[in-house]
Amino acid sequence: MSWKILKSKKKKKNAAPKPLSNQKQEQSSLFTSVKENEKEFRSIYSDCSDFILRPFLIGGKYDAILLYIEGLSNTDEIDDSVLSPLMEKNENQNDIQIGSLVKSQVAVSDVKELQTFEDCIQAISSGNPIVLVDKYKTGFSLGLTKWEKRSIEPPEAEKVIRGPREGFVETLAVNTSMIRRQIRSPKLKMQSMEIGKYTKTKVIITYIDGIVDHTLVEEVKNRLKRIDIDGILDSGVIEEFIEDHPYSPFPQMLDTERPDTVSGNLLEGRAAILVDGSPFALIVPTTFYSFLQSNEDYYSRFLIATAIRWLRFIFIIISLLLPSLYVALLTFHQEMIPTALLISMAASREQVPFPAIVEVFIMEITFEALREAGLRLPKQVGSAVSIVGALVIGEAAVSAGIVSAPMVIVVAITGIASFTVPRYSAAIAIRMIRFPLVLLAGTLGLLGVMLGLIMIIVHMSTLRSFGVPYLSPMAPMKLSEMKDTMMRAPWWKLNTRPHLTGDYNKYRQSPEQKPGPNKGKQ
Amino acid sequence: MHPLLKTNILLRSIFICLLLFVLSGCWDRVEINDLAIVTGMGIDKTDEGDIELSVQIANPKAMASSGSSSGGQSDGETTVVNTVKGKTIFDARSKLQEGLSRQFFEGHNRVIFISKELAEDGIKKHVDFFARFPSPRLRANVFIVDSKASDILKVPSDFELNSAEVARELAKLKIGLNITTKDLLQQLANESGSIALPIITAEENPTGKKGLRLSGSAIFKKDKMVGQIDSALTRGVLWIRDKIEMSSVTLEPDNTEGYISFELLRSSTELIPTIKDGKWKMIVNITTEDDVVENETNLDILDPKITNKLEKQLERKVKERIQDTLDYVQKELEADIFGFGEAFHHKFPKQWEKEKDKWEEKFPKLEVEIIGEAYIRRPGRSNIPQEEQKKE
Repeated sequence: MSWKILKSKKKKKNAAPKPLSNQKQEQSSLFTSVKENEKEFRSIYSDCSDFILRPFLIGGKYDAILLYIEGLSNTDEIDDSVLSPLMEKNENQNDIQIGSLVKSQVAVSDVKELQTFEDCIQAISSGNPIVLVDKYKTGFSLGLTKWEKRSIEPPEAEKVIRGPREGFVETLAVNTSMIRRQIRSPKLKMQSMEIGKYTKTKVIITYIDGIVDHTLVEEVKNRLKRIDIDGILDSGVIEEFIEDHPYSPFPQMLDTERPDTVSGNLLEGRAAILVDGSPFALIVPTTFYSFLQSNEDYYSRFLIATAIRWLRFIFIIISLLLPSLYVALLTFHQEMIPTALLISMAASREQVPFPAIVEVFIMEITFEALREAGLRLPKQVGSAVSIVGALVIGEAAVSAGIVSAPMVIVVAITGIASFTVPRYSAAIAIRMIRFPLVLLAGTLGLLGVMLGLIMIIVHMSTLRSFGVPYLSPMAPMKLSEMKDTMMRAPWWKLNTRPHLTGDYNKYRQSPEQKPGPNKGKQ
Repeated sequence: MHPLLKTNILLRSIFICLLLFVLSGCWDRVEINDLAIVTGMGIDKTDEGDIELSVQIANPKAMASSGSSSGGQSDGETTVVNTVKGKTIFDARSKLQEGLSRQFFEGHNRVIFISKELAEDGIKKHVDFFARFPSPRLRANVFIVDSKASDILKVPSDFELNSAEVARELAKLKIGLNITTKDLLQQLANESGSIALPIITAEENPTGKKGLRLSGSAIFKKDKMVGQIDSALTRGVLWIRDKIEMSSVTLEPDNTEGYISFELLRSSTELIPTIKDGKWKMIVNITTEDDVVENETNLDILDPKITNKLEKQLERKVKERIQDTLDYVQKELEADIFGFGEAFHHKFPKQWEKEKDKWEEKFPKLEVEIIGEAYIRRPGRSNIPQEEQKKE
């Protein structure tokens, strides 16, 4: 029965969706009479208390209106550079000259002429005041946008010790300017589009012409064009609409708050998607290994960077496998544990009432809950949570005999290990996969763990991100790209770019730049 | 078919597959607190001729309470020794399980003690269990016990967790023989069938406490114990087998008072079998390198002349020791525990095939020549005796 109900529901749902905004709305041009225009705008913006319509007289003679939205435009500039020069009385004015009059009298750098209501609405929504003049079918949009924005701050989720400290903000123009400041060549292209029927969110695809594969850019554009939604509030929404494998737990796009990460990836021939209102840019295509790399790897010395990468590889394996190995060894393969360790583990588990697998689940879920609570709680309460958490997990649970001390150690190490993954989206995916692995370990022992690992690897190798195999350059193996995967070769050896798809610009720099005391002297 | 329906089938089949894992129902799962972790096993002979199996089982409960509460009020001993009689080892083991609330687990059994009485009747049939049954490891050390094996298991230990661990650590030091179940099985399958196993005894300290002590080796011919040798002779066996790692030699140099002690740095022994005109002969070639660790005499051992003399003397001493061992084991016990038979087999396979059956008679009469070289590598620069020399 229930299956049937589900099915019928799905069918209904399936019938419902209709394309929302794909049909082009009819463009209605502005009226000649300013009174009519005023009426029209008042009806469009009825019940919008932040909409301001200011009728005035140009030179004391001609009717005109000024339209803007409070808080989006610079009112000081409007008063000084628009209203006061226009309202000044001037004898030598003819009807015909009004168009050029606005242009000549208004001291604003960015003035656009608009013909339709739709264009006007868009201009108003993005903060450009509009001036409409009587007997004139063209509106003037003035580039006097100004709204309150967050100042540039160090990115919260991707902290570095060495490297640029600035992070993206919610304002698209600021974000693009940060990238432009790093890549000054006009080859840096930014193609803009608008997504969202109501939010009209501006989305920018950026890439470097001459490095990027143009089919990639086309593909990104096509996928973005297919999105038909009422609103985009963050790049995460876009990510779900354009990824290759929506059911996979693994992220297939690199999200970053850092302009230097975006620039670095652009220079390797990738494209980035920037979304207005979101401090997170999406980088495509992405491989699994880029989630294990921090941009700091490229700024610290290469030996150190390589060592740290290896540390991450070790700890990512620990964060994935430690709890399941613990369960498998403790309940199936006791002969694999060193004798002294086995006896001390047995001693600590003596009072624990639960089987090992239940113990693992209790502790791991508690840890995840603490992590989540610590994230969401206000700062003032956060410390309280961590104290309670540490006491509950660490001390009280052990002394009460509910969990064993080795279990606490396992959970703690696993927790710490998962935070060594530099990208939160990948770290959380690995943390979640841990749970089915524990279940497999609890039912089939090491055999189950291996089975789970094989399933994960098979799944990962089927993934593709915009045409690039997810596990490349490991599978398929590309030896020339190993220099920047398991290790980070010195910069003077990173002469070639990774090959993603299609055509690519292979050489990044001139070879043989290895420094030395007598270099270039002969 | 509708695409959504398709995913439905896919999801359903995945769900069913996942259920399969859970349906297996953890059939093999044993919680660690349901295990009786066996740390040592002992086999004795009963008066009726059956065997008596003793097992030392770790008692985690006692360790848990002594660990957590600082007072150290432990619930009994850290190990429990259970003893039961049976016709075979497994028979006894099954009987033992009847009275044990936890599952018998030999995966961590490190030591097997076999009583002398049982060893004199032959050990092959008892070792079979340890080779055939999958649970015990082949890495367990085998010891022969002078007294009852169950008594050794009950000896309390000062440093280690239990007496079985003490015995294992003693064997690991390689002062005496270090024989595991695997070695034992290999040697039993050997040409000569003669084996040597370490003997362990429980001795009372001056303080009245009991402690374990390695005391020589038991010599087996075929699989029956025929005699035993003391620690010094065991050292000789180790020399010939090229297994010696720790050894000290103390000698009194000619023409002076006091002793000089040497510590073995490294040594290598080569067994060179020869057949000349139908006469079999074994050459034992020993090269040993030593350090001087103690010098009571007034000799200046940095002087190469003196060092050469000392080397000659050391050589003689080592040869003497080996000769003592040979005299007893070869001539009196007539057991080829040195692997001479193997050496002949490897070098002269054809002759060996012919003489194989007569080896038992041949071995005691075999001529053995010991040649050796000793080197003093680090005489040490400590010059206290020399200064005395200068004063005089």
